[in-house]
Amino acid sequence: MDSSLAAEQQRILASNWGGGKSPFGTSWSKFMMWIFIISDALTFAAFLITYGFMRSISPEWPKQTEVFNMVLITFMTFVLISSSAVMAMAVGAARAANPKLAFRFLVLTVVGGLMFLGCQAFEWSHLIEEGARLTHNPWGVPQFAASFFVITGFHGFHVLSGVTILAIVAIRAAMGKYSADQVENAGLYWHFVDVVWVFVFAFFYLL
Amino acid sequence: MAEHEQHALSYRLYLKTWGWLLVLTAVALALGYAPINEKFKAFLLVCTTLAKILVIASIFMHLRYERLNLILLTFVPLVLAVILFSFTFPETLGTATHVIQVRGNAVP
Repeated sequence: MDSSLAAEQQRILASNWGGGKSPFGTSWSKFMMWIFIISDALTFAAFLITYGFMRSISPEWPKQTEVFNMVLITFMTFVLISSSAVMAMAVGAARAANPKLAFRFLVLTVVGGLMFLGCQAFEWSHLIEEGARLTHNPWGVPQFAASFFVITGFHGFHVLSGVTILAIVAIRAAMGKYSADQVENAGLYWHFVDVVWVFVFAFFYLL
Repeated sequence: MAEHEQHALSYRLYLKTWGWLLVLTAVALALGYAPINEKFKAFLLVCTTLAKILVIASIFMHLRYERLNLILLTFVPLVLAVILFSFTFPETLGTATHVIQVRGNAVP
């Protein structure tokens, strides 16, 4: 009994998961960023599923194309996808040990994020002016504006955090305090923000 | 030099990926306006969205260069979300509709 237990312990310690090895083959910081992204994805999954639930039990749902300025929303999507592509290039430049180019790409990404936030601020103020509130709105069931403000609000807050993180990384790249891992981790977060917007765009604005 | 060429190649890959993402966005947008059955439209939108996140995750987030361990880990939220969705959504097929309608009308 004892010897088989010891053998089992030996087997576990010798495996990839026994410690002292890197079963995921990443740096600890990148792995932690992935863990964070996974948990954050579950937050947004909960929001979108709740939205689907509320929409399904509502007698009717306002037509999004009549409430939202779809040209603006499409432009926002375009900006976020483009900034994501530029971010991928920033990571490439950082990996290629080219801090100057990485800095330029990072600044472009930040500009994209700021443009997105500007458009969202414009959209929010416009809808609030028209009378949309968390508790009621002029187009139909109160759940419509409630889910709009909560989902796009949480996403916008993520964009704001992303812009802040990327600005810090860009400044550090310009100062020469630069590490490719740092740029890549910030990039992972930025792509995640883009992924969330892809879901919001499809299920909240288009469906 | 060879390394430099390799980096230029990856920039080209990112540009190409960017183009494909824009194409998929255009498809999703067209679906949004298409006069087709709502359920079919939802299905097609789910497909384009999944295609988009697969492209972003595999190329922009470099998942295709990672170990299978990490790739499997990243699918956890998607699986859990599908489970959550599939056991909450049937609830909406009941008669709860009037609850929301009454509350909606109660607000001035």
